[in-house]
Amino acid sequence: MPRNRAPAPATTSDEEETAVRADALRPTLELAEQIWNQLDAGEIPRMRLPLRTKQNLEFRMREGVWKLGRQMGTRSARKLDGALMLLRTFYLVDFINEMAKSKKTSTLRELYYISEAWQEAKFHSEDESNLLIEDLEVLCQRLREDFRLHPEENGASVLGDLTIKERNRKGIVKTINCRDDVGDGGYALPFNVEKGKIEFVKTSAKFVIAIECGGMVDRLAENGFDEQYDAILIHLKGQPARSTRRFLRRVTEELKLPVVVFTDGDPWSFRIYASVAYGAIKTAHLSSYLATPSAEFLGVTASDIENYDLPSDHLSEQDVRALQAELTDPRFGTAEWRSEIELMLKNGKKAEQQSLAKYGLNYVTEHYLPEKLAEMGVL
Amino acid sequence: MRSVAPPSIAQQLAAKQREISVAEFFERNRQILGFDNPQRSLLTTVKEAVDNSLDSCEEARILPEVTVQIAKEGEDRLRVTIDDNGPGILRREIPNVFARLLYGSRFHSNRQARGQQGIGISAAVLYANLTTARPAKIVSKIEEEEAAHVLELFLDTQKNQPRIVSEDVLLWDRPHGTKVELVLRARYVRGRQSPYEYLRGTAIVNPHARILLIEPDGTRVTFERATTDLPPIAKETLPHPYGLELGELGYFLKSTKRPTLGEFLAKDLQGVSARAAREVLAQCALPANRPPSSVHSEEQERLLTALHGAALIAPSGDCLSPIGSMLIKRGLRNVLGDVRPEFYAPPVSRPPKVRAGFPFMVEVGIVYGGALPPDQPVQILRFANRVPLLFQQGACAITNAISNLDWRRYGLDQRGGSGLPSGPALILVHVASTKIPFTSEAKEAVAEDPEIDREVTLALQVAARHLRTHLSRRTRRDLAGAKFEIILKILPKLAEKTSHLTGKPVPDLTPVITRIMDVVNLEAAVSRDASGVHVAVEAVNYTPRARVLELFAEIPPEAMAGATFDPAPDGTDPALGRAWWTLSKLPPNGRTKLALTFPPKTDLDAADLDWYVAGVDEAHLLGADPLPGDWDVRLPRTIVEAAEAAAAEGAPADGAEEEVDYDAAESSAGASDDE
Repeated sequence: MPRNRAPAPATTSDEEETAVRADALRPTLELAEQIWNQLDAGEIPRMRLPLRTKQNLEFRMREGVWKLGRQMGTRSARKLDGALMLLRTFYLVDFINEMAKSKKTSTLRELYYISEAWQEAKFHSEDESNLLIEDLEVLCQRLREDFRLHPEENGASVLGDLTIKERNRKGIVKTINCRDDVGDGGYALPFNVEKGKIEFVKTSAKFVIAIECGGMVDRLAENGFDEQYDAILIHLKGQPARSTRRFLRRVTEELKLPVVVFTDGDPWSFRIYASVAYGAIKTAHLSSYLATPSAEFLGVTASDIENYDLPSDHLSEQDVRALQAELTDPRFGTAEWRSEIELMLKNGKKAEQQSLAKYGLNYVTEHYLPEKLAEMGVL
Repeated sequence: MRSVAPPSIAQQLAAKQREISVAEFFERNRQILGFDNPQRSLLTTVKEAVDNSLDSCEEARILPEVTVQIAKEGEDRLRVTIDDNGPGILRREIPNVFARLLYGSRFHSNRQARGQQGIGISAAVLYANLTTARPAKIVSKIEEEEAAHVLELFLDTQKNQPRIVSEDVLLWDRPHGTKVELVLRARYVRGRQSPYEYLRGTAIVNPHARILLIEPDGTRVTFERATTDLPPIAKETLPHPYGLELGELGYFLKSTKRPTLGEFLAKDLQGVSARAAREVLAQCALPANRPPSSVHSEEQERLLTALHGAALIAPSGDCLSPIGSMLIKRGLRNVLGDVRPEFYAPPVSRPPKVRAGFPFMVEVGIVYGGALPPDQPVQILRFANRVPLLFQQGACAITNAISNLDWRRYGLDQRGGSGLPSGPALILVHVASTKIPFTSEAKEAVAEDPEIDREVTLALQVAARHLRTHLSRRTRRDLAGAKFEIILKILPKLAEKTSHLTGKPVPDLTPVITRIMDVVNLEAAVSRDASGVHVAVEAVNYTPRARVLELFAEIPPEAMAGATFDPAPDGTDPALGRAWWTLSKLPPNGRTKLALTFPPKTDLDAADLDWYVAGVDEAHLLGADPLPGDWDVRLPRTIVEAAEAAAAEGAPADGAEEEVDYDAAESSAGASDDE
């Protein structure tokens, strides 16, 4: 039975690679053995997995993150869907073991296409394959990188006075300052942001501000906010990728910097904050590795919309449903979040970050952010 | 000087009074008579002629051969020819039958027939005369004469009399028959409310008829007969007092040959015994020995009231001509062959009932699946006295009865539980009566009537219950289908993959397969060749323990006579169409085969055979049912013991059902951090 311990981070340092990879795939073969034994014993093959649902999120006081609880589900060959998922699992296990032998890696999307050859076991969508990989992560307590699978999309971009060392594709270590050595787009995070790939060298920054939209990142950069307030700007690009969340976690842990999250004022942005700070539902098995419990929500809050009299839109039906779903989401179970969500429902309004431009292009950097950051005690 | 008085109002009115010509009558009643547009006029013409053909063949006990040929004759003109192998019409009757409105033999008869009023075919002739100025050409030959008579006729619209424009004789290559040829303004379409649809419906409810349609483009559509059995002839019966109206009673009293009122009541009316006659007469204070013709109108009224209030024997259904459940099935199957429906509900023929003194009965058939459209309202085939009703569906009592039933209970979609259900189904309803209440003279829809509604509803419910049983069996089969997919496709691959990954041999899957399936599966497949109709049966024991199966077959008795079995059954009951076998012990995953052979051309398909297995309960059977208790077969001791052991064991202790299905929980919980 899998325990919900945080998996050991994958590493790419050359000397360790072979040993780590062999160990990485051992649990997948144990899984095959388990099913073979069931078949041999005349039992209907099945696997038990912790449910990755919001009802099965539990708060871990010690780590300050939400992780998977004890509710288990069964994937059984008694039903057609279950039987297909079991078969898929071993096509996947076979595939990643073959990849390890030939020292190849594959993107998640490539895996989806690889499955075309699996006949009835092929995936019908990339979502389906991603979910199964996460299942395998949970079952084997490994990361998908251990399975030599990675997303094609890189993480976010970083802008500010932070010097890092990155070992690039060719194995050459580059030292990069994320303000002085990069163009206007900032430093782009690779999908692997682990030690061995990226090391922090130094920074003069006093805090990190994680921002939902690119337009707002550009505004802060153009207004020189990062230099004026000694901030590192990180562009989340909507719901942040794993590498972005892992990077945020490392920055706070290793550089001891506070993180604030600055998003639009709508229900979906609340979820962005929740997955950064508390852990996401689908990757709750990785929360102690990906979540940044110290991250604080800066805004735009429902009260900001009123207090700053921001141009707003009416909540759509989906928005209202999303807010109501959040009221039953344990991660939003605090009094603060409840009142925030209820206020937004009551006012029926949402606003974008960039609506602050109503008061001019400098308003966000000269008034809004300094005020909010002072309120939060960051400045 | 005498002043000239102006004509009085009465005189003025009198000057305007004149006979209305039939042409005017026709013009004003075109819609009622079914000639309001070129498309409908064609249909009405075909319908009237074909109804006549079928009625005359039925009376003469001839298997009908009817040909309808429609050919283009000009811009908006068609030549319509309908010929039959009926008894033919006497020369002297031909002009009146075809060219005189309100002339016919059936108006006064008290039995079920297609046509009744004697308007139909003459109206078609009149329509043809009026629209193209062409005479109707009639060819008719009776068996007793050497040659056929050929007449060309107009209907004289002033006098409502036939006018013969030419006459000839012809040596015809058939012993008897009639051919009508009309040129009329009309339009041919195929589809709804077309001659094609009408003839198709006619073929379904007249499976003894062979109907050929030749369309204007030369396409020949043959509705082959599905039986050579003629429908039993509907008896002509005496009028029953419950359905009698005052005028009719007066007519019967005047025209009877009975000398006394008592004898008239007991012998000229149906359902009145001698004793009932005495009671009725006492009730209305009329002496039994009065000559019937002397009863005056006030007395007639008293007599009728007494008759209506008396307890009489209900009208008999002998005068009805139902299709019968077997022929409904054959007719449907014959005509719907290319739709390949998956299910024919056993048709329902309700016993005759009475409304307002007239007997009636209702028949219903339901067909499901195949190429019938799955997401549209069901198709409704309405029939009145074996005549398809193609118009006014929404105003018909039959449609209403269908709409008022909650079809969701029977497995069809229906928004809100009323209105026309939708799904791949076809519902046939036939109402037969000596007097069908139509909504109008056009006879297109049955009028609302509580008695008819009740009977239609009861019949629909019986047929719908069969549909529900079929659908729930199908659901079980689909579930089983998923299981078959697991055991036949997925498990072997899962075993192969995990063996490959672990480097171990592929395990024997029998125990897992039987745990997943846990059923005894029976499959019967029918094939045909020159040597006969073959039914191949395979029984597979997909349960975890070895079983001795006691297998029972129920076969239509008429088919059973010529059947051979391999292996030979351990017992048969030919009268009931039953055969049974005790099969050798089947291990888990073990299978055995049985072959049944019937003579070539036996009318039999897999659905006609029922299979039962003793000693296995319903939950563990697929393709067969548990042996019903009423078979009264003494079962071998082993079977009884096996059944008792299984019952004592109860549900399999598996516990897996209580667990949360991981994949179902994933999808239903829904909320993720993404949208």
